[in-house]
Amino acid sequence: MPVPSSRPPARVTGLRAEPAIARTELSWRSLGFDPLIDHYRVHAVPGDRGAFDPDTSNLVAKTVYPQLTHHVDPRGETWTYRIVAVSDAGRTARPSAALAASSVASVVGTGRPVATIGDFDARTLEHRFAPSGYAQIPAAYPDAVFELEQGVDSPADAWPYLLPGPGDAWAGRKVYTARWRLTLPGPVEADHDLALWLVDTTRLGGTLRVVVNGDALADVTLAPGATRGSREGDATVPGTALVRSYHELPVGSGLLREGDNVIELVLADGGWVAWDAVGLFAR
Amino acid sequence: MPRTTPTFSRREVLRAGGLGAATLALGISAPATAGAAPPPSDASFGLGVASGSPRSDSMVMWTRLTRDPLAPDGHAGMPRRNYGVHWEVATDPELRHVVRRGHALAQPELAHAVHPKVTGLRPGTAYFYRFRSGETTSTVGRFRTLPAAPAVPDRFTVGVVSCQAWYHGHFTAHRHLAAEPDLDLVVFGGDYVYEYGITEANLWRQGVSVAPEHEAEVQTLEQYRLRYALTKSDPHLQALHARVPAVAIWDDHEVQNNYVGGRSAYGLPDEIFAHRVAVAYRAFYEHLPVDVEALPDGPGSDITTGFDVGHLARFSLLDTRQHRDPLPTTAEEQADPSRTMLGSAQERWVQDRLVDSPAVWNVVASGVVLLAVTEDRTDQWDGYPAARARLLDAMSRSSNVVVLSGDIHHAVAGELRADWGDPDAGNVGVELVCTSVASDGDGAPTDDYAPDWLQHDYVRLYDGRRGYLTVTLTPEEMTSTFVCVPWVEADDTAPREVLARFVTPAGSPRLVEA
Repeated sequence: MPVPSSRPPARVTGLRAEPAIARTELSWRSLGFDPLIDHYRVHAVPGDRGAFDPDTSNLVAKTVYPQLTHHVDPRGETWTYRIVAVSDAGRTARPSAALAASSVASVVGTGRPVATIGDFDARTLEHRFAPSGYAQIPAAYPDAVFELEQGVDSPADAWPYLLPGPGDAWAGRKVYTARWRLTLPGPVEADHDLALWLVDTTRLGGTLRVVVNGDALADVTLAPGATRGSREGDATVPGTALVRSYHELPVGSGLLREGDNVIELVLADGGWVAWDAVGLFAR
Repeated sequence: MPRTTPTFSRREVLRAGGLGAATLALGISAPATAGAAPPPSDASFGLGVASGSPRSDSMVMWTRLTRDPLAPDGHAGMPRRNYGVHWEVATDPELRHVVRRGHALAQPELAHAVHPKVTGLRPGTAYFYRFRSGETTSTVGRFRTLPAAPAVPDRFTVGVVSCQAWYHGHFTAHRHLAAEPDLDLVVFGGDYVYEYGITEANLWRQGVSVAPEHEAEVQTLEQYRLRYALTKSDPHLQALHARVPAVAIWDDHEVQNNYVGGRSAYGLPDEIFAHRVAVAYRAFYEHLPVDVEALPDGPGSDITTGFDVGHLARFSLLDTRQHRDPLPTTAEEQADPSRTMLGSAQERWVQDRLVDSPAVWNVVASGVVLLAVTEDRTDQWDGYPAARARLLDAMSRSSNVVVLSGDIHHAVAGELRADWGDPDAGNVGVELVCTSVASDGDGAPTDDYAPDWLQHDYVRLYDGRRGYLTVTLTPEEMTSTFVCVPWVEADDTAPREVLARFVTPAGSPRLVEA
């Protein structure tokens, strides 16, 4: 008695792309659970190419979710995407229609670094106590203030990988401040950009207050993250649960000055942030 | 000789939605001519055999056809075709006296796993079984059907294991448990697999290496299949499954650490996370000897089940992960009487089973610890105190309640107080918490968490080494034996050491050191 094979999954439709800093957020219509989708294969080729043949050479990710964050070069890139569904039986669908999308260029890729703390590499590893020694932070900083002086201190010595917040019972539920002292050698005549790249945040989200030389620059709203960056330091690991976030703020020339400057990052509410890197960039 | 023909309720067929009723049925029973083409000559039953869902007249048997069990695509190297699998059940280990035989279809939709259910067996009887496909024959497994009510057997012994992080150590505990002279059933108490990526940092099982595809956190169906295959490739686990029937509940790591209900602990929207839950539940069904009720319908599955060992014992196996409310964020919320660990339907079900039970012993398996420890252990029943009080109330109206749990990678024995704050309130039962098979590596007798547990006079044992638990029930008493193995990381040669033994007299729910 021949037994018919199960049908292949349907073709993925509804592919959408949202440009974002250093990445493109892809999503598509879920195919549901009949047949059960083992995973979606995300194929991509550089540039705006129209239809292309998905194969192993252009497979950039597999995901069980009907969405994917494609991290790209911070200078900004255009890619063309097609999605292929694979069923529980290993049967593949016809590829989705192709979609070309561009990311938003980051100041990390387009600007000139004036001063940075850490490497913009999706890892916390160069920072103090990384990747999982967060429990040492409250004892090391009883006043809840970190301080790093550019050119003097290193991230490994003076910039803990987590900045705790009032939502963190383990850190005393305090408002923590990360204070960055940096010296600008000459007159500041042009606007700059401040890049705050995070490897992860907590499920609480929060508000990161940015103060430049005593003047409030912005209250950055932190989206909920994976709450995993306290124990894992590498967001480039395939399948990582870490939720990176990128915040880039223009800093008017009037807020900076020749000589000594102080940038304070205050976690006013919510849970910790896990630093990837912080940088001040000239345009 | 009767053939086993499956029957499916309308509910079961409807539940098959994501798979198709035909696929479901054929994975349990199929005509002999279905999938008549033999499998490739190098195919085998490389992940062993298992039996489960024990009843007095039936048993579910399990195996999976493989060529390369650790092939990265999760299909174990099998072509995407159907193959017939023949099975037989006999009363002798050489299978000369076959009493039942049948066929099932190994299909790519279920990763070539089959779940034939043999019915019409005699109660309280030892049987032997094996599978054949083409020229390949499986190892021989054995099981004993349960005694039928109202019989009260002289004794019934259960092994309990949990938390099988393959990468943290060897399954030495399984080696010893499989060799226990007196064993009728094994209860897998949760965390049968772990979803974490396997890297240099956590590969503590010495003498092995894994391919790069194991490094990523498990997320897709092919990855969950691969992780089950890796776990089930362990020869000691295979020996245990072949030795006795298994029943299994799950905790969180079968899907993702600390997930609650349909919610990820790591920030994904529920409707997105549901896709991962669905494939994780499917892989659980595919790799365990569970009945058709456990076949998921998308991101939902029903693993709650129960069975009676004559009138000696009633087992109720709980799902303490899928139906629970989110973790509390405030003390007020934690105390909210409307909060549930089990969901209302499962809660009523277990209460009824406890209160109406005719059995001497009433065994409840929970994925997380029921004992009151500290208020901040919100992932355990400590996070659901009102729901726990309701369960304890039902237990107080039952007889000789024994809770089996795991999750914490420690061996703990405790008495369940009717009122945690009142030593005179009396006990409603006892809880036996099984340590891990391998999770957290070698472990140590004590650690920084010990005071949290030992501050309570109702906690009689706390130990952080690896091992297992056996529970022997008789009409007069229960003997619980906590076994540890001194190491698991270096190799699988550690000896069996008895850590503690307690006797609980029937009618007196307490732990008496023996």
